[in-house]
Amino acid sequence: MSEASLSDNKMSATCSLSEELRDLLPQTKEDFKLDFSEKVEKSVVVLLHQARELFYEGKKNECLKTSEIIRDYSWEKLNTGNWRDVDKEWRRVYSYGCLLKALCMCLKTDDIAEAIRVCDMGLLMGASILGNILVKVVNVLQKHLQHGKRPSETGIEELSKKKTKSDHTLTPAVKLGTAVPQLQCPSLEFFRKNYLVPQKPVILEGIANHWPCMKKWSLDYIQEIAGCRTVPVELGSKYTDEEWSQSLMTVNEFISKYIVNKNDIGYLAQHQLFDQIPELKQDICIPDYCCLGNGEEEDITINAWFGPAGTISPLHQDPQQNFLAQVLGRKYIQLYSPEESEFLYPHETQLLHNTSQVDVENPNLIKFPKFTKASYQSCILNPGQILFIPVKYWHYVRALDISFSVSFWWS
Amino acid sequence: MCTTPPQCTRPRRPSAVYSHTPPPGYNPQALALGEDVSSFPGDRRLVLSGSVNGQLSGCRDAMASEQHVLVLRVEVEGTPAEVQAWAAASELQGEPLWTRKILRQGGRKKDSGSGDQAGGHGGSPLDPALLPLVPEPGWYVSPRQPFSQPLAPELKARQLVLGAEHALLLDETGQVYTWGTGRLGQLGHGALEAELEPRQVEALQGLTMAQVAAGGWHSLCVSEAGDLYIWGWNESGQLALPSRAIAEREKTVAGAKIPATVGDGDPAQFISIQPFPAFLDLPSGSEVSTASCGSRHTAVVTRDGELYTWGWGKYGQLGHKNTASLDQPQRVDYFADNLLHVEAVICGPWNTYVYAVEGKN
Repeated sequence: MSEASLSDNKMSATCSLSEELRDLLPQTKEDFKLDFSEKVEKSVVVLLHQARELFYEGKKNECLKTSEIIRDYSWEKLNTGNWRDVDKEWRRVYSYGCLLKALCMCLKTDDIAEAIRVCDMGLLMGASILGNILVKVVNVLQKHLQHGKRPSETGIEELSKKKTKSDHTLTPAVKLGTAVPQLQCPSLEFFRKNYLVPQKPVILEGIANHWPCMKKWSLDYIQEIAGCRTVPVELGSKYTDEEWSQSLMTVNEFISKYIVNKNDIGYLAQHQLFDQIPELKQDICIPDYCCLGNGEEEDITINAWFGPAGTISPLHQDPQQNFLAQVLGRKYIQLYSPEESEFLYPHETQLLHNTSQVDVENPNLIKFPKFTKASYQSCILNPGQILFIPVKYWHYVRALDISFSVSFWWS
Repeated sequence: MCTTPPQCTRPRRPSAVYSHTPPPGYNPQALALGEDVSSFPGDRRLVLSGSVNGQLSGCRDAMASEQHVLVLRVEVEGTPAEVQAWAAASELQGEPLWTRKILRQGGRKKDSGSGDQAGGHGGSPLDPALLPLVPEPGWYVSPRQPFSQPLAPELKARQLVLGAEHALLLDETGQVYTWGTGRLGQLGHGALEAELEPRQVEALQGLTMAQVAAGGWHSLCVSEAGDLYIWGWNESGQLALPSRAIAEREKTVAGAKIPATVGDGDPAQFISIQPFPAFLDLPSGSEVSTASCGSRHTAVVTRDGELYTWGWGKYGQLGHKNTASLDQPQRVDYFADNLLHVEAVICGPWNTYVYAVEGKN
């Protein structure tokens, strides 16, 4: 192929990308709505209007600069006060900044991977704008990203085998009599009466094992679908550690750094991955039992938990009912009823008051003598199984293998 | 010297100049407080310029945020002094949004506002700012509604500064108190909990501080001996401690993107949150005379008249002729190169104002 035809190809690729992106956007700048409440300062609204103007005039460089200012300014607002108190209007402003920046970047340069990262920042920290346009933009960008598919050299089976061997001694024994009971496809009514109402944990079998994810998901598949996507990763083996921190990286980076090569512990934990990447949501189902709750289906929070063997969620409780579905690998879980709370020494700080100070697999009984009185149940959760964790039930979770779980929080 | 009064509003002190808006690209709105030679000495005129123009006379001090301008007005013929809050776009015309009268003056030993004797044109540029403190014990002002905040009078405040979500107070004995949100270590008490009431920073007890400064999410203080202590969020290197973000940026800039698996430093070497005051030595070992913090950057003036800056540099706020962020102090060469002696510095959120004089070296 001659150099000329190469560059022609590149031209046409960029052309169709910009056309596809324009098709996603409102045709005129008037339809590109910028409505904000008075929470957003006038000067920022002026900037947003300027950025929109510049974009529709095709002034990419100026638009890029202005959208950077919008992003940086709203980013400071997103970081002021507690996340839950941040006004949604500022999250929308941030999304606009990310959208315009990403659009200008891929019209100007061919750094599509970076544009996807910018869109993901908008999806992670912003709020939905223009009919969830960031999801659509990422879809188009991903199609044009040549390096999206980067299969790992090692399959998960091989990795898991290696792991299972070396970590064999760490697989804890589940004592008879304390094991969480297992049920094969109970009826809704049976589950309600015997487990939901009395708030008893149970492992449900035969529910999730037919979900598409059980067959489809592997490291290769996750990298193929989500490799270039930016996700939050917890660093350090557990969130109560001093050295624990959070970091943003692509799924490819996460897999190569923390799963294929294990330098440190990294955990893609408690992340609403399925809102960010709807394609993956098609591979899972919402358990029918969730309809026994009062909430609407939209109120169910679905989180992904993906990491290497050895990730630990310290003993803690959550404010909602939980179905924990295991997709890849195994997890060792201990469960303590809320009635045991007095033996569990919750942290005194506001931030960690839902978390026990006790390292349950290696308790310091001098510091926490009452812990010996706490009774618990335990299990090893296998792929295809779903564990029902009642609201406020204390749970400790340690991954025995490379593991992918999906949790459903419902009320 | 001057013919038209508005042009004569020479900044009385750098702390009276603020920037309103995230700059480049958008008309910045500036606010200056200056001597008005057309009226009696001591009467200061507040000038708004940029996207909104406006003027107000009889001002002693002013402070601004994106949404509001707060002004301390002087006492005029029986009308007591008062603090007014104006909407930022109001051009200072019509009625202020909010007013509170100052009924019993006092509570501050050093009153920089009244009757400048020296030189007629204004006092030392190092006069401590008045607002958000007011010349009346028991309260201070914040740039957001409800504007007035209670403050225990027994604290005997000498200086008060506000971050994005925290406050630092220096009392007359040189002790430092903090309160507000502590999520990012900005309170310096070690824990990341919020404090609803002023709490003394125990780690600094026994040291006599001369000045405090607050960035968006970081804090610093300068001791009478000229030492610098700094704590809070190090997201852009604003504490001059090793920052992960800067290390990663350097890796990407230094050539091809290095694969994530190679050469990753020990994560423990980076500091994101510093919840206790950290002593900071400048490269030259110089003593510090004054300092100021922007939302994510820090600027320090040494006793030998040099300016050092570090932290977030994306909008040129560090003055190093580039837009890089820095996680260590670096001297701003401009002043030495031009034989200027730096006397004072005040950071806006994303910018830096410097007061320098010629040839004092």
